[in-house]
Amino acid sequence: MAYSDKVVDHYNNPRNVGTLDKSSTEVGTGLVGAPECGDVMRLQIRVNPETQVIEEAKFKTFGCGSAIASSSLATEWIKGRTVEDALAIKNTDIVKELSLPPVKIHCSVLAEDAIRAAIGDWKKKNGAAEAAAAAASAQ
Amino acid sequence: MLKDADSAVPVACWSCSVQHDEVTMFCPHCGKIQPPPGGDYFSVFGMEPRLNLDLAALEGEFHRLSRRLHPDRFARATECEREWSLADTALLNDAYRTLKDGLRRTEYVLTLHGAGNGTHIGSGFETQIAEEQNGKERQNASRAPADLLEEVFDLNMQLEEMRLRRQSGNVDRQSGKVNRELIEDLRAAKRKFETLREEVDRDLRGAWNDWDGGAADTRRRAQTNLRTLLDRRRYLSNLVRDVSEALGE
Repeated sequence: MAYSDKVVDHYNNPRNVGTLDKSSTEVGTGLVGAPECGDVMRLQIRVNPETQVIEEAKFKTFGCGSAIASSSLATEWIKGRTVEDALAIKNTDIVKELSLPPVKIHCSVLAEDAIRAAIGDWKKKNGAAEAAAAAASAQ
Repeated sequence: MLKDADSAVPVACWSCSVQHDEVTMFCPHCGKIQPPPGGDYFSVFGMEPRLNLDLAALEGEFHRLSRRLHPDRFARATECEREWSLADTALLNDAYRTLKDGLRRTEYVLTLHGAGNGTHIGSGFETQIAEEQNGKERQNASRAPADLLEEVFDLNMQLEEMRLRRQSGNVDRQSGKVNRELIEDLRAAKRKFETLREEVDRDLRGAWNDWDGGAADTRRRAQTNLRTLLDRRRYLSNLVRDVSEALGE
């Protein structure tokens, strides 16, 4: 199957590959996978607690070219956005940008799910942190 | 959609007009060839859906039907009969390929019971799945359990590290020793993945027994279990493949 130029570009020069400190409260981690093709994708964000802006995004994906390209593109797109703006990204946007064929649509779904999972993890951590802070100030 | 294994509706033979309610490629009354019957792949062989399948009986029935459907036998038949012999043969081949292999059979049974995942296997029911796939894609994409993903991710990281070390070891060629250690590490990793896969296969056979013998409740639990095991097996097979590639095998 022929990959589009954009997929090849992201595959050969993946943006934002790497790891952020999982234990930091500013960092959210999303780990998702597609059993049908055996892909695993980890996407991490570091959010500025003042502005809610995603200042850093990193990913590591084991899988096909489309899965790598989808997650690479996802990190590019969410960087500089607020958490709420990042949630507006749809898998169909990724499909369009990368011209993914129908059999590779699940790769874009995976990338969208990874964004949501990372933000969900960050919210959970910070919801918990806020609750702890509120409890502490109440005492 | 796959047709339901509902053979209660009587069918009238096109030739002798006698009604019957069997899933069959030949009229039980006059023996004339019939168009491809509805029903599941098991019923093509006159078998009950079971995961522990009598493979010898399956093969015997496959050969018997293949001979009976052979195009040479229909050289002088009507055009309809000639077409049906080809269509029946295609169905027979799809059914046999799917049922003779334990993993494909399991996947097929899960598909029949609405717990399939649209994996690319076999041919016959694959196209039907592909049509449904777009709708199901959403809920399926990240269905894998979190602990499995963590484990697979870590194993992949280890494997990648070993592969990178192997590449750099090849480049500077300072000593054969480093390389030998890496190859040993990779071989150990491969053995580990293979052992894990064998464990999955053992668990699969256990779940087959649960599914075959269980009441509705047990059966539903077995289906969930089978789905998880098939997913895990796929990840492990990919890891075995990747480590074999890294070893240059």
